[in-house]
Amino acid sequence: MIKLEPEILQAVEKPARYTGHELNAIHKDWDEVDCHFALAMADTYEVGMSNLGLKILYEVLNNRQDTACERVYAPWTDMEAIMRDRSIPLFSLESFTEIKKFDFLGFTLQYEMIYSNVLNMLDLAGISIWAKDRSEEDPFILGGGPTVYNTEPIADFFDFFVLGEGEEVISEVAETFVKWKKDGKPGGRKGFLKEAAKLEGIYVPSFYEVKYNEKGYFASIEPKEPEAKAKIYKRVIKDLDSVHFVEKPVMPYIGIVHDRIMLELFRGCTRGCRFCQAGTSYRPIRERSREYLRGLARKLVDSSGYNEMSLTSLSSADYSCLGELVDDLFSDFEGEKVSFSLPSLRIDSFSIDLAHKMQQVRKSGLTFAPEAGTQRLRDVINKGVTEENLMTAVEAAFKQGWKQVKLYFMMGLPTETDEDIVGIARLAEKVARKYKEVKGKWGVTVTISVSCFVPKPHTPFQWFGQLPKCEFERRQRLLKDSITERAVKFHYHDARVSVLEGAISRGDRRISQVIYQAWKDGAKFDGWTDLFKEEVWHEAFRKCGIDMKEYSERTRNFDEPLPWEHTTPGVSKEFLKREWDKAIAEQLTEDCRRGKCSGCGVCPSLKVDIVDWKRQEGEVKANV
Amino acid sequence: MYKYRAQLTKGDEIRYISHLDYAGVMERAIRRAKLPAAYTEGFNPHLKMSFASPLSLGVTSDAEYMDFELTKPLCQPEIFDKLSAALPPGIRLIKLKPVKEPKPCEGKKHKALMAEVEQGIYEVVAPLTGDWDAAVKAVEKYNGATEVNYHRVTPKKTRDIEVKQYMIEPVKIGMSGDWVKLTMNISITQTGSIKPAEILELLHNEYGLSVALGRALINRSKLMGQGKDLIDLV
Repeated sequence: MIKLEPEILQAVEKPARYTGHELNAIHKDWDEVDCHFALAMADTYEVGMSNLGLKILYEVLNNRQDTACERVYAPWTDMEAIMRDRSIPLFSLESFTEIKKFDFLGFTLQYEMIYSNVLNMLDLAGISIWAKDRSEEDPFILGGGPTVYNTEPIADFFDFFVLGEGEEVISEVAETFVKWKKDGKPGGRKGFLKEAAKLEGIYVPSFYEVKYNEKGYFASIEPKEPEAKAKIYKRVIKDLDSVHFVEKPVMPYIGIVHDRIMLELFRGCTRGCRFCQAGTSYRPIRERSREYLRGLARKLVDSSGYNEMSLTSLSSADYSCLGELVDDLFSDFEGEKVSFSLPSLRIDSFSIDLAHKMQQVRKSGLTFAPEAGTQRLRDVINKGVTEENLMTAVEAAFKQGWKQVKLYFMMGLPTETDEDIVGIARLAEKVARKYKEVKGKWGVTVTISVSCFVPKPHTPFQWFGQLPKCEFERRQRLLKDSITERAVKFHYHDARVSVLEGAISRGDRRISQVIYQAWKDGAKFDGWTDLFKEEVWHEAFRKCGIDMKEYSERTRNFDEPLPWEHTTPGVSKEFLKREWDKAIAEQLTEDCRRGKCSGCGVCPSLKVDIVDWKRQEGEVKANV
Repeated sequence: MYKYRAQLTKGDEIRYISHLDYAGVMERAIRRAKLPAAYTEGFNPHLKMSFASPLSLGVTSDAEYMDFELTKPLCQPEIFDKLSAALPPGIRLIKLKPVKEPKPCEGKKHKALMAEVEQGIYEVVAPLTGDWDAAVKAVEKYNGATEVNYHRVTPKKTRDIEVKQYMIEPVKIGMSGDWVKLTMNISITQTGSIKPAEILELLHNEYGLSVALGRALINRSKLMGQGKDLIDLV
């Protein structure tokens, strides 16, 4: 058990990040369980404690009698320095046990820029960075979450990955482990991995052989063990009402990033924006029922004491019973001073009316995502939104009293020209002038936030070469110079980070050397602008003899094997190629939730169906 | 409105959370307890609650005081049990009393909880690194001094504070195992006070008290006004 002296805790920023004992945290007797699972996020306590996936898996694992699940996050740099100085190993927040003593250490991989922190946490725990160097006593290192649809850049650091939704498979992993342990650990470490590889959704990277062609490009990946599947499909929960959701969230004593209840309405989004990885990887749409959500909301308010609830999903306004659910929640929590919010709004007046209803008191600001500045480019990305939609929505918002609008855009999308960039400024200015038209005076702030497009695996843009950093920066300047209205404020993402993310997200196994080198040379917390060390990363690529631009800027051929195709969310390559062609032809694809099936391949390959309560009602009526 | 005063603890589990975080934790506890709490008006309604003197980060306490209001009068045992059951690790409810508002004819209202605080008693324990007699002498020397200055540096400003004006009684020294136990009775005024950690620092740096400062633990045992515990003022 690790005990931190007062002088350590007095010396670090936010010491309660390291002291645990939160309400609803689950403490089990170490010797009473067979499986010890540490769930980690390679980021700060405040970020890690805000992650919904970890909250769910924490309860799912702890609901098992044979398993104890504990939490661990990345110590901030001040604490890390002290831990290294005093040889204090990484520890868990429940029993303050060394992480190295656990059977599993599972990381949620939210985005590529935390990979250096994963390595740093392994090192702080005293666990070998490379999976091949681990001994029989070491924990199994696993990863899950959004970046698992290309795990190759980090494949050599992990023992296995879990693809897709974890509620069922995480329990199967624990069960497989307990059985293997009770059987006397046949085959040792590799023996367990062979058993795990038999489970659907589990990818054991060391069971595969990767080949490269004469040009040095990825050529193939083949299983070397009989248990390893040629293609691993993600796991998907068919009925979200049937699996456990968070009921008693661990309550932090200090403020965290999302310090409120998160009620997940549904998974998946099939609006089909062609740049969006979440749009392909969480398919299909599966809604929770209104009754189930209502029950969850009650349990969560009672167990947490929170007075704020966010109705989360990829596009919450698409929940088919949203109006009714909000009415239910308003009546259930009348007089309890609970406020509700929607994290993302659709660009239409239904959303504005709903937001108005939910934010009776505080009109903090509205956020919309037109994503591109011209209709032509919005058609390329299949963002089914017109300028008229946006103007109608903001007009409704201004009439309801909103004075702050934030607009999200992307820069560097396929086929983008300077006209599209200037179009962002023009659109924002039209929004600002709409306020004057509605209110007869100035007084609005329109903030445009522009990110740099990173092409992602398993999207229709997965072949597309990313812009070079200098070109992103030129376009940022062009946009800045194009804004003439004072009411428009401009924020943009750091292109230095985006091009690195571009290289890593479509990397192959050779990138792991670069990540290792960068970490060795001091890279950590790369997602934190003030800690990002661009030069360390460029130097790491040079030291490894790898051309970063080959990964970020090179446009792949359609017939070229891609290093991520064996770990798939179920969308077919044919579908992605079809969508690319339609993008170039500026043609739209319908949302399959109610419209025509776009033939993406997810439902048949995963044997799952769309769950849309309104559509189901419609079908029942049609059948009668 | 029906006002109540609670005496709470701040235990070892949460000694490193700030005063503001402690207030947030109590607000959520009252909500979990399903008490008919009174809220402030306005855009961002908050529970009507107030606290006595804030504790420094790292200090535990047996004497945290909180006043809060309910919209309905509940009997004391019901509130006590419901609130106790909703508290997180590190916080215990020791006492709870209704605050009797003086009748309008009596004129004045109850003072704000924070304004009632006049005195705090703290126990400081730290491992003894030198010999006992020298430690006793160091404390005696401090107690005998007529004027002691502490140089307080904060991110915002730096100033010198005369410490002895805040000492209600001389510092007492005792032993428990290899640890020194100091009892400090400190005056808390509207214009200022001195922190027990600052007195310990002075004793160590300027009066030769040999203790391991980095391992020292501080606990507030009492918070008083008019010579009484704050819970007995209502």
